[in-house]
Amino acid sequence: MRNALVIAAREFEEKRFVAYAAIAFAVLPFVILNLIPMSKGKSPAEAIVILAVILSSGFTVGLGVLTGASFIGDVSTGRMSFYFSRPLGAASIWFGKLLASIILIVGCFGIIATPARFLGGAWTGLWDITFTQLTVQILTAAIGSFLIAHVVGTFVRSRSPFIAVDFAATVVCGVAIWLLVMPLADGLAKSLVGWLLVALAAALIIAIIAGGLWQLERGRTDRRRGHLALSQFLWSVMAVALLIAAGFVSWVVSVAPSDLTRVIAWHAPGGQFLLLAGETRHRADYHAAFLIDVEDGSVRKIRGQSIREMRFSRDGNSAIAVSTAHGLSDLVVYKRGVAEPVETGLTLSPADPFFVSDDSSRIAVIGRGLLSVYDVAHKRSLLSVRVPGELKSYYRGSFVSPDLFRLYVASPNGVSVFELDLRTRGFQSTGAFGNTLGFTLNPGAQRMLVRQPGGSITLTDARTGAPIKVLSGGTAVFTARFLRDGRIAIVDEIPPKKPLLFATLGPRLHILSPEGVTQHDFQLEQSIGEASFVGDDGTRLVLRTATTGSRSPAEFRSRRLVALNLDRGVIERSEPGVFEWSIEVNADPRPPIQPLREVFYSDGAGRIVGWSPATGAKRVLTGGQEAKARREKIHHTS
Amino acid sequence: MSDSAIQIADLTVNYGRKVAVDQVSLSVTRGAVYALVGRNGAGKSSLVRCLLGQQKPEDGKVTLFGEDVWSRRSELMQRVGVVSEDADAPPEMSVAAIARFCARLYRKWDQESVEERLRMFGVPLNSRFGILSKGQKKQVSLALALANTPELLVLDDPTLGLDVVARKSLFEEVIGDLADRGTTVFITTHDLIGVETFADRVGMIENGKLVLDEEVDALKSRFRRIRFATDPAALDTTVMRPTVMRAWGGGAEAIVSNYDDIAFERIRSTSNIGAAEVQAMSLEEIFIAIAGGNQGRNE
Repeated sequence: MRNALVIAAREFEEKRFVAYAAIAFAVLPFVILNLIPMSKGKSPAEAIVILAVILSSGFTVGLGVLTGASFIGDVSTGRMSFYFSRPLGAASIWFGKLLASIILIVGCFGIIATPARFLGGAWTGLWDITFTQLTVQILTAAIGSFLIAHVVGTFVRSRSPFIAVDFAATVVCGVAIWLLVMPLADGLAKSLVGWLLVALAAALIIAIIAGGLWQLERGRTDRRRGHLALSQFLWSVMAVALLIAAGFVSWVVSVAPSDLTRVIAWHAPGGQFLLLAGETRHRADYHAAFLIDVEDGSVRKIRGQSIREMRFSRDGNSAIAVSTAHGLSDLVVYKRGVAEPVETGLTLSPADPFFVSDDSSRIAVIGRGLLSVYDVAHKRSLLSVRVPGELKSYYRGSFVSPDLFRLYVASPNGVSVFELDLRTRGFQSTGAFGNTLGFTLNPGAQRMLVRQPGGSITLTDARTGAPIKVLSGGTAVFTARFLRDGRIAIVDEIPPKKPLLFATLGPRLHILSPEGVTQHDFQLEQSIGEASFVGDDGTRLVLRTATTGSRSPAEFRSRRLVALNLDRGVIERSEPGVFEWSIEVNADPRPPIQPLREVFYSDGAGRIVGWSPATGAKRVLTGGQEAKARREKIHHTS
Repeated sequence: MSDSAIQIADLTVNYGRKVAVDQVSLSVTRGAVYALVGRNGAGKSSLVRCLLGQQKPEDGKVTLFGEDVWSRRSELMQRVGVVSEDADAPPEMSVAAIARFCARLYRKWDQESVEERLRMFGVPLNSRFGILSKGQKKQVSLALALANTPELLVLDDPTLGLDVVARKSLFEEVIGDLADRGTTVFITTHDLIGVETFADRVGMIENGKLVLDEEVDALKSRFRRIRFATDPAALDTTVMRPTVMRAWGGGAEAIVSNYDDIAFERIRSTSNIGAAEVQAMSLEEIFIAIAGGNQGRNE
């Protein structure tokens, strides 16, 4: 240590002229300011600060490069033998020279940046970054440049053919780092990527510093041997660092659904296919997404970072992911039981609506005024037609059959109905109906329930838009839907004169025949303030219920799932403890093909739970603490 | 404690495919003065770098005072003074500053002796090292090398750049004095006349190989120049081996490397070789004869 300080002092003494140059650079902004007249309204202090920062950063980084490159020059010029013929260890020589160089770099920066430091008022008016932050950044760059220049200088000055190996190793390291960063970037792990790069940079710095010592110890005055020693050490350390990093990245990306913490779930209409996405436990900000086949338990990890939207086909056997990159969306189809996803090759703008056939074999897309139908398996367009120009406000559509696509185009004047027949290659208007708050189709797409602005429901011909029957029964309808067997379920609103919290009775549930004739009329219990449909399994109708309509703490506490017997109108099963509903994704206006087997929700502990309305059985699919914390917070607030 | 100050065993140094030092082995006893001679590029400097632990040989081992120099270099340098071939001190530093720097590195340091020697050499202390003449730089290096009272002094071509007076001073006053005091001296040089008077042993390296390693007295006693008035066709080369044989005047000149007075007298008395003059040879003449002979063989 003592000898290292002796060396450092000697090196510093030898290079003291650099410090004199730094003093001259420190004065330079003031000189320039006197020589060049200031523009009107410009602050001299700001000009001095800007010049001082430019000069200090340029000088310091340049000094780092020069001192780093000249380091090995001492070996080339035989100067190192002066040290090696003295009683000095390689460590003393290396660390002494290193210390002197770093002191020189830091000292020179301090000297030149002094005006900027003491004109801090002007500084704050110029930049968001603080002087300390800028200092750290410039000195990091300068010392990094110094170390890199030393390595490059060593490699180049040795004139050894081994430099080809160094070049190859550099490329391999670069590629390896890229390959390590990409999976993390895919998982939106911005901070994790940052930490990984900082860790690898630290490994590189350590490798160069320790490698420099090894270089002097093994090579001494022999440039080639020194080069070889540095290369071996540097690339060995980097190989180990990259292996550790690869292990770490492998561990990060090897998340299972049970590692998800802040989970969002989307499920197929029948509940047989589930997408889970969220943050992951112990992995900082790494996000992961999984598609789970609920029936066979198989899990596949998908690239979730770019998925803007996820839809499921009506049969529940396909998930269609909309991946967005560079302003364009690609559609990828994941099928149950098929390992590899199908790249449709379809690229659309984010706002372009698309519709999937029941079995996901065909996709209809509206873009640039054209309605096009694609065959997914063959990746080709079957037909394109122009959508009427003035009608472009809102679209809903459904494949009535694989060869017949029906399009509903909403405009301020009402809804127009069109059909595209792929067999005849004909596109024609089939009907229209007035303004609506929404509509749903029956399983065969022959009829639809049209919700009128006044709160009534009209049974309507789905192809022509002709009304068949008004279904409202005295009170306003809260929600209505076709069941899978074609019957109609309607839930009334609680009359407004009875605020939800003070209502003595719950809403009414009406079950109607496919023709709109009332079959059952059930009074639901008081605790069901509001209800919405989840689905049915032929015997039971599952509703999401809560006592209030707002996302208040009381509403969170009252959320539950109920399974109503369709024939008796009684609650067969009730599942409390629901914290967040999972999102059922059924873009098709018709009810699902498959009966509802399982309903998913997030419980108070942040876990995704599957609940069977038929048996009441529950199973935990994943877990997390985030939702629990949020729930506790809500409880505490209430 | 080892009797050898320097022990070199099977030393081999390669630069790529070029063999700079080829399985050289030699030993220098404590207190001896060893002169290693060789032409430029013969491998002397590579050998010296290995000797000082500055370069790792491909093969072989170097020990100083019985300790491996590669692994114990730093400690051993406390006992060694070095004057390298190229003056390697930092050029921006003054001579005094270099001396102060070195003083902090050695356990024993005689600053007065440094200053006295530099005064004797006429080198100003406050001069920057970089502006000194080649000879002055060597003198500074020598003054520094001697300041720690070394047990071993390694001089790599110390007379390079020195004028005649300085050269004489170096050999007679400095090295001679050190030799008298029992300091081991290892010197590589071209100046064979200078080392002839005090070198105990001489080695000759050629194309990386040590072709000669012998006590100076023994070497000088076995080499003779013999001038024959007539052609010595009858010279029995099995008894008296001529290293060089060439025409000289009307007769011939032979340089023999295994001269023996008794054997030569016996040949002269029994053979018809006519008049012959036997002359002793200087180290330089022997060096030239050996180098010339080897060159002839190599060619």
